[in-house]
Amino acid sequence: MVHFPLDKVSSTCPGDVRVITQILNSLVNIEVVFCLAALCAITLKKQWPEYWSLGGFLATRFLSDIILVPLLHIKISHANDAIGHNAYVAYFYIYWISYALESVLTLIIVYSIYSLAMAPLKGLQQLGMLVFRWAASISIVVALGSAFSPNMKGADYLIAAISQLQRTQSILTLCLLVFVCFAIRPMGLNYGSRIFGVSLGLGIMAATDLVQSAWMALVPNLYSAYNVVNGVVICLVLATWFAYFAMPEPKRRMIVLPTTSPFLRWNQISQVLGDNPGFVAVGGMPPELLAPAEIEIMQRASRKMVVPFPKSMSA
Amino acid sequence: MKIIVRSLVIALAVTGAIATSYANAASSKTTTKAPVSIHKTSAMPVPTCNPNNPGSC
Repeated sequence: MVHFPLDKVSSTCPGDVRVITQILNSLVNIEVVFCLAALCAITLKKQWPEYWSLGGFLATRFLSDIILVPLLHIKISHANDAIGHNAYVAYFYIYWISYALESVLTLIIVYSIYSLAMAPLKGLQQLGMLVFRWAASISIVVALGSAFSPNMKGADYLIAAISQLQRTQSILTLCLLVFVCFAIRPMGLNYGSRIFGVSLGLGIMAATDLVQSAWMALVPNLYSAYNVVNGVVICLVLATWFAYFAMPEPKRRMIVLPTTSPFLRWNQISQVLGDNPGFVAVGGMPPELLAPAEIEIMQRASRKMVVPFPKSMSA
Repeated sequence: MKIIVRSLVIALAVTGAIATSYANAASSKTTTKAPVSIHKTSAMPVPTCNPNNPGSC
């Protein structure tokens, strides 16, 4: 018989908590299974070169889950001794460090999804990625800075900084989802595309994260009912990703734009924005720099350019 | 299909915006002892108590 870590909590807690912990036991297992299934789908479909950041996110989540479950089990079985406390310390740091890693990886996923979505319009892709890099860098600095306050110490600062980073990343993710959803047809994609599927999953997670931050302001408990919502959402998201990667992806349509399209014009303008400039010698150039053949050509050209003085003027 | 998906996406974005404003308002009211924090979207229990501070929970 398999014992789940939360079983012992549910046996000591009455009523609602018992039901919640039983549901959570199942959701933890489903989460791990879907995570592994999505990872396998990405690997079998050879999608690692394009979706390495998503693969990294899933791998981090899978590894952290399989480490956290035994730690929680130890913490609950040794609730009142040093072993239990040490298990909780390990659980605490592994949870938040893996969360920080996942936040950074999610930012990279958003970046790579934008890059993949805009691949046909190279100019706009480069311009958008440049803007994204600046926005992400400033957001990270602001998140780390705003988490700092005089009475914040190690672990509290870790939680506050990661929470700010996650909030920033959630807002960026929702912006990406809105962009992908409304620009899906001009980019030659459809709702069966993996780019859309990954964006949708990230968007659902981001919205849940933001709602959770508001919820947790009211109920900051370890075993709250919101964990069930969280568990259901992550299972739904992982199932969506698994389905998108397991099923064959429809081919991207050819993008045809009218010659007067502003998209096309902006793309052309953006393509030349980053080019290295050419240089023109304006003056102060000594004749020794030129080859004899060049001097000869310039002299002949100068002779041809001499305009005869108009007779009417001379008269 | 197009309308359903767009409605879903708009609903997610609006929910996120409302939740952000609510969380910001809540965090400005909260004392420094228990700051508002976001947690992993996961079924795993959230460790909110600082392990180095016995009085944190």
